Amino acid sequence: MEYDTYPSCSLDARRQAQAGRDNIYLPDQAIIRNIIRENSLVNTYELTLVDELANHRFSFQPGQFMMISMPHLGEAPISFSSSPDGEDGFSLTIRNSGRLTAAVQQLRAGDIIGVRGPYGRPFPADRLEGKNLLFVAGGIGLAPLRPLIEYWLSRPDEAGNLTMFYGSRTPEEFCFNRDFSRWEQNGLNLRLTVDQTAEEWDGSVGLVTSLLDGYTIDDETMALVCGPGIMIRFVFKQLQAMGMKAENIITTLERHMKCGVGICGHCHMEEKLVCIDGPVFTAAELPDPDNP
Amino acid sequence: MIETQTLHKDYLRPLLRKLGKQYRLVGPVRNRFGDTLYIEITDLDRVDIDLKHQPQNSLKSFFFPQTEPLASYIVDTEPLSPTQLYSFHPLLPENRPTLYFGVRSCDLFAVLYMDMIFLGGKHRDIYYEQRRRGAVFITLGCNEPFANCFCNATRNGPFLEFGFDLQLTDLGPARNSYFVEAGKANGVKIVRKWARFFTVSTKEDRRFQYQAALEARGLFKQLVHVDLACQELEKGCEPEDVLTDFSQRCQDCGGCAFICPTCTCFSITDQARDQGSGERIRSWDGCTFAGFTRMAGGHNPIDMRRHRIRKRFFHKLKHDVQKHGRPSCVGCGRCVDMCFGGVDIIRFINAITEAGDLGRGKKRGV
Ligand SMILES: Cc1cc2nc3c(=O)[nH]c(=O)nc-3n(C[C@H](O)[C@H](O)[C@H](O)COP(=O)(O)OP(=O)(O)OC[C@H]3O[C@@H](n4cnc5c(N)ncnc54)[C@H](O)[C@@H]3O)c2cc1C
Ligand code: SF4
Ligand code: FES
Repeated sequence: MEYDTYPSCSLDARRQAQAGRDNIYLPDQAIIRNIIRENSLVNTYELTLVDELANHRFSFQPGQFMMISMPHLGEAPISFSSSPDGEDGFSLTIRNSGRLTAAVQQLRAGDIIGVRGPYGRPFPADRLEGKNLLFVAGGIGLAPLRPLIEYWLSRPDEAGNLTMFYGSRTPEEFCFNRDFSRWEQNGLNLRLTVDQTAEEWDGSVGLVTSLLDGYTIDDETMALVCGPGIMIRFVFKQLQAMGMKAENIITTLERHMKCGVGICGHCHMEEKLVCIDGPVFTAAELPDPDNP
Repeated sequence: MIETQTLHKDYLRPLLRKLGKQYRLVGPVRNRFGDTLYIEITDLDRVDIDLKHQPQNSLKSFFFPQTEPLASYIVDTEPLSPTQLYSFHPLLPENRPTLYFGVRSCDLFAVLYMDMIFLGGKHRDIYYEQRRRGAVFITLGCNEPFANCFCNATRNGPFLEFGFDLQLTDLGPARNSYFVEAGKANGVKIVRKWARFFTVSTKEDRRFQYQAALEARGLFKQLVHVDLACQELEKGCEPEDVLTDFSQRCQDCGGCAFICPTCTCFSITDQARDQGSGERIRSWDGCTFAGFTRMAGGHNPIDMRRHRIRKRFFHKLKHDVQKHGRPSCVGCGRCVDMCFGGVDIIRFINAITEAGDLGRGKKRGV
C-alpha cells in the first residue's frame, strides 16, 4: 500500500475552485406562505426565501433536502416535497416526531424559519428517464417521492408507465390526498391500502407489500421506495424475490445529521456519508440492504 | 530548491523573537506541573520551550476549537402582528497568521488530514479556513520516538518529506545545532530573510542528519502492523472478540476521540442567551457516544457500544483507506496514554494482526 500524501493539499487551489456561498453554516430566512394540514401529525409548509434574488436563483432536485432551523432548537434535515418546477419557492412536509418538529407545528403563515441547502445527491434523473416507475410509499415516506411524481407526470413523453402503491395506517393519514385525482388524471396508476379496515373505506386493506403481488416487473422498471425502515426492508425483499435487480431499487435514507455537507461525521454509514453520498441510494449500494 | 542549512541552538530564540513580530507564536511549552503542551506564546522569555517531550495535546484545537460559536441569532415578534422574525449573524474567528514551531511530524500530518475534511470537499468550512490561512509550520523530526509512537507504521514520521515550511533535525549535543530543510514557500522566505541566523550545511551535517533519520526508524518501541491490519479489514475481517472485550472496558468518556489529532467529528447546538437571542455553537463530538447517531423516536442504527467502538477504529483503518487512500491514524500514540481501559488503536491493531500483547488494563510504555 502506497500512501505518501493526501490527494489535494493546496489551500489556494481549493479557494479558487470554490464558487457560490461562503458560509455553509449560515441559514437563510424563509417565510411560510401557507400551511396545509396533511393529518394530525403532519403538515406541509410552503416556503419562499425572504431574499428575493436568492429566491430567483434557488433550485433543487427531487431527493434533495434542506436543513431547517427553529429558534433555540437547532436544525433538522427535511426533504423537499414539492415539484422542482415550482416557480415560487418550495414545500417541506414535516411530521411531529420530537422537540424541533413539535415546535414547527406551532408555526403560522407569515412566520420565518431558517433554511440552508439544497443538500444531498438527488434521485438519478438520467436513470429514470423512459423507464416504468414503480413508487412504493408508506405514510410520510411519500413526501420525498412527490417531487419525482410531479416531475415525471409533467413530462409524459420522457417517462414510461407510472405506478404508485401507497400505504397508510388509516384512511385519514394519507398525505397529499388532495393530489390523488389530479395525478390519476395525468396518468398515474395509483393503488392505496390501509393497515386497518375503516368505515367508508372501500380500497385495499393490508400491508403495502400485498399490492405488489399482481405487479409484473421487467428490465425497464425502476422502483422508488420510501417509508418506515421495516417497510423498506420488506419491499426490498419482495421486489428482489420478484426478480428485480438491486441497482434498480432506489430509496432515500435517514440518519442523524448535523452539518448536511459531509464534514461533521454524524451520518457515516460504513465508508459513505449519507448527507453527500446519499440520502438517495440503490439497494446495491447499501452495506446491509436488509437493514436500511 | 534552496540549499539545506543549519541553525545553531543558541539562535533559535532570537529567530523566534524576530518571527514573533510577524506571527502569533505557538509551540510546545513545559508548565510548572511538568506537562508539555502546545500553547500560544506571548512572551518568549517567560516560557520553558520544551523540544524534548511529546506535547500532550495536538494542534487540533488551534484550527478546530473544542467549542466555538458559529453564529448568533435573534428571534423577534413583529409589534403589530405576532409574526415571528428570526435571523442569523455569523461570528467568524479572526484570521491571525500563526507560526507553529516545534511541531511533531504526526501533528502536522494530522493538520493535512483536517485540511482535507474541512476544505477538501465540495463545501468549504470557512471557520476552519480563517484559522488555517497564513499558518506556517516549523516541524521537529523525532530522533528518539516516544514510548507509544508508531508513526513509522502509519508512514508519516518520524521525519517528514513534505507539508512543513521548515523541518528541523537535532544534530546532537556535539554540534548543538539543528539541520534545517525548507519545504514550502514560507520556509524558504524565512531562511532568506533571516539568513544571518543560518549557516549553509556541510556534507558532514547532511550525513549526520541522514544517519539520525535512519537510526530513529530503529528506535520505535512499539511494533504495530498498521498495513497488515488495513489489509485484513479490507478483506472483511470483523474482530468480534476484541470488540466485545473492548466494549466491557470502555467507559464512554470520549477521551480517545477528543485527544486524537484526526478525530474531527462535531455537533452543532443552539444555546439561548435569553428568549430573544442565542448562539449556534459547534463542539467536538465523538462517535463513541451513544447519542451520536440516535434519531427521532430513539431509533439508532449504531446502537451498541461494540458497534460504536467498531465505528471509530474502522473509520480510521478501513473507511478512510477506501476514501482517501491511507489510514487516518497518524501513529501519535495519544489514545494509548489516554485510555485506562486499554481501548486503544495499538491493541486493536494487534488483535487483528495477532501480534503483541492484548493484556487487560496493563498500561504500555512509560
Ligand atoms: C435526509 C433526511 C430527510 C428527512 N426528511 C424528512 C421529511 O421530509 N419530513 C420529516 O418529517 N422528517 C424528515 N426527516 C427526519 C427529521 O429530520 C427528524 O424527524 C428530525 O430531525 C427530528 O428532530 P426533532 O428535534 O423533532 O426530534 P428529536 O428526537 O427531539 O431530536 C433530537 C436530536 O436528534 C437529532 N435527530 C433526530 N432524528 C434525526 C433524524 N432522523 N435525522 C437527523 N437528525 C436527527 C436532532 O438533530 C436532534 O439533535 C429527514 C431526515 C433526513 C436525514
Ligand atoms: S487513533 Fe490514537 S494513535 Fe492514532 S492518531 Fe488518533 S490518538 Fe494518535
Ligand atoms: S451530516 Fe455532517 S457529515 Fe453528514
